[in-house]
Formats: sequence, C-alpha cells, structure tokens
Amino acid sequence: MYDYDVIVVGAGPGGAFAAKEAALQGAKVLLVDRRKEIGAPVRCGEGLGAGIEKELNFKVPKEAIDAYINAAELYGPNGKKLELRTKDSKGYVIDRKKFDKFLVEEAARAGAEVLVKTRIDDLKKEGSKFVGVIGNSMGEKFEANAKVIIAADGGESLIARKAGINSLATLYESDFGVEYEMVGLDVKDAIEIYFSNVFAPRGYAWIFPKGKDSANVGVGVDGLHGNAIIFLKKFIEAYKERFKNAKIVAIKGGIIPVTMYIDELVKQNLMVIGEAAHQVDPIHGGGMALAMEAGSIAGKVAGTYVTQNKDLSYLQNYKKEWDKKERKTFEKRLKLRQVLEKMNDEDLNAIFNALNDEDLQKVIDGRYDIVVRKLTRILISRPSLVKVISVLLK
Amino acid sequence: MVVEVDRDKCIYCGACVGVCPKMAIVLEENVIKIDATKCVDCLICTKACPMNAIKKKEK
Repeated sequence: MYDYDVIVVGAGPGGAFAAKEAALQGAKVLLVDRRKEIGAPVRCGEGLGAGIEKELNFKVPKEAIDAYINAAELYGPNGKKLELRTKDSKGYVIDRKKFDKFLVEEAARAGAEVLVKTRIDDLKKEGSKFVGVIGNSMGEKFEANAKVIIAADGGESLIARKAGINSLATLYESDFGVEYEMVGLDVKDAIEIYFSNVFAPRGYAWIFPKGKDSANVGVGVDGLHGNAIIFLKKFIEAYKERFKNAKIVAIKGGIIPVTMYIDELVKQNLMVIGEAAHQVDPIHGGGMALAMEAGSIAGKVAGTYVTQNKDLSYLQNYKKEWDKKERKTFEKRLKLRQVLEKMNDEDLNAIFNALNDEDLQKVIDGRYDIVVRKLTRILISRPSLVKVISVLLK
Repeated sequence: MVVEVDRDKCIYCGACVGVCPKMAIVLEENVIKIDATKCVDCLICTKACPMNAIKKKEK
C-alpha cells in the first residue's frame, strides 16, 4: 500500500540532505520539487560558513564556489567597522543553482528517486495520520503514499500548515529580502554587513562577493516599514560611489523567518525541516547550514524508523536531537536580535564606537556579559538603552 | 478581492505565500495565483512583497 518509505517535499539543501540520509539508511525515498530546475530561481544571499562541511562530513564542490570568504565586516550607521577574521569567519559565497543540484545528485546517488516540476497541494490523511501527498507532476495528477513525510518546502511552509502546524510567517517576525547580483564593483575577501535604520530597519544590508568584481547586494527588512526594494535602492544611493559602475545582472528575493523555530517539528509521521520550520539564524538570517543539519538529523531518524520498524514515537528523536543541539543557541541569538532591533542609529553608533574586533568575537560566542560591562560608560549617558541591553544578561 | 499581482514586477520569490494567513496564494512556475474565494483582503501580502509587486486595486 505504500509507494515509498519517505517522501521529502522540497529539494533545497535541507530536503536533499534529508533524502540522502534516509536513503543511506536503506529507506525507499522520493524527493520532489515544485520547480523545473533545482536551485532556480535563487532566493538567497548564498553565504555559507565552512564549518558545516566538517559537521556534516561533506565538501562543497569547487565548481559551486563563487568566492572564498575569510572575514566578516560589520559597519555601524556612521561607517565604523568591526571585523571578524578568525577560523569561524571562513566560508564561501556559493552558486545556489550548482550547489543545490550537487546535493540532489548526492541524494540520487544514495538511492533516492527525484521528481522535478512536481507540486504538492495537499496531504492525504487517515484519521490523524498523514498517509501520502496529492499534487501535480508535469501536468498530470500526482498521488503517492509514504510512511513518513518530510516537509522541506521553504518559507512558504504550506505542507506544515496543511498538517495543522502553526508555521505562518508574520510581518514582524520575518525579514523580507531582495538583492541584486551586480558586476563592476570592488569586493574584498569578506562579507560586508551594514546596519542602519535608514536603509535597513530591523534588518541589515549586505554585500557578498560573487567573484573578482561582482557581488550579491541586498537588504532584509521587516514587513512593517515598507517593501524591501525601496530600502535596497536607499542603500545603493547611500553608497553610490561604491556602486557607480556597477550593473545589475540578476534580481533575487525571498522571505526569511527570524524568530524561534517552530515548536511542532514532528507531528504524527510528518517532520518539518529548514526554513519551513523557521530554522534560520535569527541574527544573520542564514538558513542553509541549519537546514542541512536538520535534514541530516530528520533523514537519519526517518530512515531508521522505517527500516527498523520503530514505534511512531521514535520520530520525536529528530526534535529531541535538534533541541539539544540548537535551542540554547537560538535563545541567545534571539535575545541579541531583540536588542539590536530596538536600537536607533545613535545607539548603534555609540556601541560600534565603544567595541573592537575582539569584542565582536565575544558577541558571536554569546559571551554578552563581558561586552555589556565594556558598555557601562555608554549606558550611563543613555539610560533608555539600559533596559534594552539588560535583556542580554537575563 | 482587492489585491492584484503586477506580473511585470514579480520575481516569484514566494514571500507572499509564506505570510498569507489563509493559504490563498500559490506559487507555480512563474505564476502567482491568489484564490479570490480564500482571500480576506488583509493586505499582508502587499506589505511582505520585497518587490512591491502586490497592490491594492485602484477603484
């Protein structure tokens, strides 16, 4: 009665990892994607920290790497720079089309079946269990049954919502991003992050190098201050000298949940991973590494569940393992986000001026107490900031 | 339904799908479809759209 052991909906990096890991356990896996071409259209800044390779025991293929990154540069509204140049700041700006396709090929090599241009519209239910998916594959009605369904359908998160899980993105707890891929500008061996309430309220603007003289130039802002494209234009205007010869060769955009990941990561025999589960870093908005990590855990758990005939409750191990690994970090990063988004540009300038590169490393490491102590003098002259910053010490 | 998608501006990123509280928006290959029977005119999608491609219809 089952067509597959595991169906993974969405072939981004998270879905591809889930499909690969489940297949490696010996499960019969189907990976479907709505799009005709994996990885396109790109809707991402394309930055990826190198640490994930070791963590998940894989290598980003050379042909998918557009630029090698050694550092992260953060700019305050007044232009003061703080730089992170450590082993933690090493990474890549990748070509998502090539990278995503590589990961899907890996899943296929591990034994997963792949279907592109296959849209899943709904879940098939029997009682409280989800027994399969219904949709459309290359123009034909599509229906398939499975023991486990993994929802990896990105920021739209329709599969989880069809299952009755609250994964709706709100205007307040999401960033909406738009970026131009530009050619004809100076770039460094660093990703550049710009804070400003003028061109990136409750978010930031970025320049991620894509090549010798090209970069993804974008902004992510909340949904309450205006459409992202307005702010991207403001950012480019604010740094017009830098962009004076730059030409736009592509436009990319998307939604970035910046909140706690959803509570219901597993419901019955359905698992939710990646952006669909809001597994996105609430500070930098990066989702690829976390999605791959979640996919890897969920895929292994699902594969083991079906091949070793475990009880349904075994699937909860995905949530348990994820919580153990990531909950504390998320809570810490969310506190920092709460603080950052309450600051006006004068506050940000004062803080950027008071901190140095070593302090930035401490912030990244979550050692907030040491950094806050260093800000005592600023806080004395800015009583309104005390309450905001005190969140970090709770 | 009071909203409409400007297909000349849309980049098919799906942000509107993620914020629609009624699951009234579907992203197909290069088409955004809004189901008028589900839409409740909340206008959230008009605010979320990074490209400012969803607008309230002019009367």
